[in-house]
Amino acid sequence: MSFPLAFNAELFIQLLVSGITLGSLYGLIALGYSMVYGILKLLNFAHGDVYMIGAFVGYGTLQLLGGPLSPNIAIAPLIVLMFLAAMLASGLLGVVIERFAYRPLRDAPRIAPLISALGVSFFLQNSALLLFGAQFRSYDSFVLGSKNPEFFEPGPLTDPLFVVKNVNIQLVQVIVVATTASLMVALTLLVAKARIGKAMRATSYDREAAAMMGIDTDRVIATTFFIGSLLAGAAGVMFGLLFSQVFHFMGFLAGLKGFTAAVVGGIGSIPGAMLGGLLVGLAESFAAGYLGGRWSDLTVFGILIFVLLVRPTGLLGTRAIQKV
Amino acid sequence: MEAGGDRQGIGVDDWVASHEHRLAERAGFAGLARKIDDRVPAWARLTLFAAFAASLPLWMGRGDLFAYGIFTLIYILLGLGLNVVVGYAGLLDLGYVALFGFGAYFYALLSSEQYGIHWPSAISIPVVVASTALLGLILGIPSRRLLGDYLAIVTLFFGQAFVVFVNAANPTVAGVGLTGGPNGIADIDPNDIFGYELISRTQQYYFILVVVLLVLTGLHFLSESRTGRAWRALREDPLAAEAMSMPVNRLKLKAFAFGAGIAGLAGCIFAAVLTAVTSGNFGLPILITIYAVVILGGIGSLTGVVIGAIVINVSFQFLAPENPQQNARVLFYLVIVLLLAFGVRPWWRLGVVLGGVAALGFAAHAVAGAISSSWTAGPVVEGGRLAGVISDWVIIPAGHERFANAAYITLVVLILTLTRVHGWWRTGLLVPTLYLTAVVWETSFVEQPAVARWILFGALLVFLMTVRPQGLLGTPRVEIV
Amino acid sequence: MRKALIPILSALVALTALAVATGTAGGSTAAAKSPTVTDQTLITCGRTRSLGIAAPVTGAAASIGSQQARWARFWVTRYNASHRKTKFRAVVGDTQLPDTAQAIQVAERLASNSKVLGMIGPAGSQEVQVSTAPLRRGGIAFVSGSATRTSLTTDGTRRGYFFRVVPNDDQQGPRVANYIRRTLNHTRVAVVDAQNSYSTGLSDTVQGILRNAGVTVQRESVNEADTTDFSSLAARIPANTQSVYIPWQLAPKAQLFGQALRSQGKRAILFGSDGLFDPDSFKIPGSYVSFFPINLTSPVIRAYQRGPGGGKSELFGLPSFQAADVVGRAIDKACANGTATRAEVRRFVNQTNIPKAQSFIGFRIKFVQRRRGVLGPGDMTTPSNFGIYRISNRGVYVRVS
Repeated sequence: MSFPLAFNAELFIQLLVSGITLGSLYGLIALGYSMVYGILKLLNFAHGDVYMIGAFVGYGTLQLLGGPLSPNIAIAPLIVLMFLAAMLASGLLGVVIERFAYRPLRDAPRIAPLISALGVSFFLQNSALLLFGAQFRSYDSFVLGSKNPEFFEPGPLTDPLFVVKNVNIQLVQVIVVATTASLMVALTLLVAKARIGKAMRATSYDREAAAMMGIDTDRVIATTFFIGSLLAGAAGVMFGLLFSQVFHFMGFLAGLKGFTAAVVGGIGSIPGAMLGGLLVGLAESFAAGYLGGRWSDLTVFGILIFVLLVRPTGLLGTRAIQKV
Repeated sequence: MEAGGDRQGIGVDDWVASHEHRLAERAGFAGLARKIDDRVPAWARLTLFAAFAASLPLWMGRGDLFAYGIFTLIYILLGLGLNVVVGYAGLLDLGYVALFGFGAYFYALLSSEQYGIHWPSAISIPVVVASTALLGLILGIPSRRLLGDYLAIVTLFFGQAFVVFVNAANPTVAGVGLTGGPNGIADIDPNDIFGYELISRTQQYYFILVVVLLVLTGLHFLSESRTGRAWRALREDPLAAEAMSMPVNRLKLKAFAFGAGIAGLAGCIFAAVLTAVTSGNFGLPILITIYAVVILGGIGSLTGVVIGAIVINVSFQFLAPENPQQNARVLFYLVIVLLLAFGVRPWWRLGVVLGGVAALGFAAHAVAGAISSSWTAGPVVEGGRLAGVISDWVIIPAGHERFANAAYITLVVLILTLTRVHGWWRTGLLVPTLYLTAVVWETSFVEQPAVARWILFGALLVFLMTVRPQGLLGTPRVEIV
Repeated sequence: MRKALIPILSALVALTALAVATGTAGGSTAAAKSPTVTDQTLITCGRTRSLGIAAPVTGAAASIGSQQARWARFWVTRYNASHRKTKFRAVVGDTQLPDTAQAIQVAERLASNSKVLGMIGPAGSQEVQVSTAPLRRGGIAFVSGSATRTSLTTDGTRRGYFFRVVPNDDQQGPRVANYIRRTLNHTRVAVVDAQNSYSTGLSDTVQGILRNAGVTVQRESVNEADTTDFSSLAARIPANTQSVYIPWQLAPKAQLFGQALRSQGKRAILFGSDGLFDPDSFKIPGSYVSFFPINLTSPVIRAYQRGPGGGKSELFGLPSFQAADVVGRAIDKACANGTATRAEVRRFVNQTNIPKAQSFIGFRIKFVQRRRGVLGPGDMTTPSNFGIYRISNRGVYVRVS
């Protein structure tokens, strides 16, 4: 166990920045989990793979528009287009999955849709493997939009936007955090004020009662999946922009982190998902930074287990009242 | 597709109201399985299974005995243990595979060169089983405070923590890395019966079979005992159980301990059979497989777990890429024809569909060949006896890589659409769908059988769950606590 | 009764099909109990010979395992295209690294497959560990292109069965360590292992040599397969570190790590091991990579790029191509009189002597018979003239040593 780095501001800020960026990503994925769980009490294990498909769709869009080394359009509209394409594709995919793999299992024991979700996950992962191959695909985000990409000159995404105490904060990191924050605000407003949002809340409280009140629960559930998957697609593109490499297995890993974040934050709660995501991201970043690879993962688990033991329904989860 | 007859109206008798449900239960293949399960007494089922299993080494080669026989038995054992935790007590334990790993590693430490300890199995196995049960007990302690998905996540952490601990942390104890790090522990002694070492695969197979039979018997009696009934009550309605003054917490801990003990036993056997253990053996993919075994067969049913393990392992191994592809192909087409025979009635309609597919195939092939010979120039991979027919019927292009991908995506869309339409639309759509299936098989799946089998496996899981959510022999309502 | 007839019939059909299928699935020709294939079993070679390939085609290591499988099959394709009287057939087993349970099943099955005369793989050192017993019992020779743990050959338990066409950890390590110390003259170095078998062996060796020579070595560890955010690891490397040795296997991850270092303004150069030699994915200018002393523009590599590589060279799989060549040649020699035993094939593999001009990895291929120094039986005799390459400003690999 090496702890050689005394507290210095530069390291702390670097880790803080990475942690917040990573945490935003996890939070977005966690949001999808939480929303679906809130409405259906279902752990959608295929969610991570929807995120992976979003990342690939973003990559595909990038390729269609010239590829990372020689894009046909300016970088700002390019990124917007990638986001839109990925979000749309993921949203639709989420709706299709719900319709075919989960709707028939609405009244089945809770573990059946879990296995169905696993089946969908295997199917999506390996379909991606079949269609795209096992090789990593790169967004080349480090040099995206740069004047001299072959000379490894950093593009505008990774050029530092500000510098705080020697720590570079990159444009892409700001984009990720800002987009996540705005998506979250939009979602909160939607759920609180819009009609569909109210319908979603009603359906998650009591599906039968909502149906009796004239709410089309099928449509509400489909919308929930659409929004949740849309967010996952956005997260996928963000991952590509931050870390360049997309591969068929990435959904599995990220899905686990997102699921962890959702539960730790209080599953079913939207601000909880975001908070959980930030917690997981910061814990990972600081543990890896201060403790090094051998013990960092275990420390993160320890922190999260501690949080759950102290607050058994997650940070912002509501205590479930059991009706007799 | 409701799985519970709980929409009774006021004034309607329960029994009468669930009549439809009972009829549905008894129909079809699953109904047949259920009939066997109900009418054939437990000891007869056990004997049948034992007889069939014991005959395996007589007609299976060594390689197959290992993959199909030994590994199926190990999965049965793991499934039985998980069944106790999930099926009997209704606790979602996602860290179960770590108990399996702990058992394997502990056995390895006691029977290898790692520390020079070589205890005979008669001592090491009970020690390992007991300690794993104890660890399971400790793992169950958070279940007092945590319910449902929160317990799931904490157990998941334990599972992940075990893998990380064993692989990366690997603390140095008495001068040697305890768990061997990424290299794991190798040169593990085989299981031995009071000194007689079990080296050949046949010996190992029989030993594991005996163990499995003993565990099955034990669990059967346990399930009929007071504890078993208490578990069932706990699973059906934990609040009512608590109100009836059952020691709920103690029951949960007991379930964890029993399940863990069985996992430890499986671990000992696994380590001895593999002769080396690394962290990669106990990751999430294994956990998912064990869960699939339990759920497919039906939670709470011993026969179900056995059938689930057989179905999952056999189908998975059968599609392994090193098997000659012509066998997989024959089985693939056979399964499709069987599904059609089940699904398409009356018989003349089936004939129309099959005829249409054949006709479409030859026609499309001819058209493609006319456009350019490269469209039909691709070779049939390992065609065997059917090679001639296939190369004239299925479009297999040489080059045109995008074609295979496009065919695959179109096929998925078509299959999904098929489930939504009815009547003649469905019959009509079946024809191109079936042809595309053959195309996808011949162009993509035989090229990449390793990937194909995961795709088929995933699709199988979804299909099985949507068609029969409670698994083959499970009880209809099992709520996770 | 009629209603029950169909389910019963179909169940019977399914069971029978299952029994027949599993009985013949192993590829053995007899449906009844087939005699176990041992190394003395005489096998008729026929026109098409079978070559076993064990590689992680799916799973966490799929990105590198599939490269190995593709290169090995490429050898088969080239052989079949250039030979008329005899052909080879590839029997690929998916070992799904890091789950060694699959590796042992593949080993058992390939060993029982009476047509398979020799094998390439397995890829991981821990896979070799579990596959040894079944492969030895089947008497089959297995040549790996990537299992580098030294003890696999030096402990002598696999003599005559296991061979490798890649230098082991104790050969590669000193080569790199000496280059860093003597040629680059670095005194502050970091070593990061990837928490897998390949990586920790090399890291320990290099760390040991450098420390003994007085170089300051900071040892770090990261889970290469699961990590994509390397900024925390990069943050741990102080700004005055001169180079970072990363014996990893996933070139894209190394690229990410390098980018993270650059984003933090750190100037340490990366030094990769042979697992990272991938001009398509690892392109950080100024980095070094050690690899076989090959000609990057050789006709074989170009042909691969045009063919299965789809434009990429995927050189991680190149040693598997060489391994296929070694086994293929041995099988051809053993089958010269129409029949062969696996023992014969093993003997011919052991006696391999491919001159440098005909080898694809820049070494003469000859196997050590007896243990000497860090070489064990099965290692190549050619000492560690492993090449050191530097990545130029335009991402081109140039050999510098």
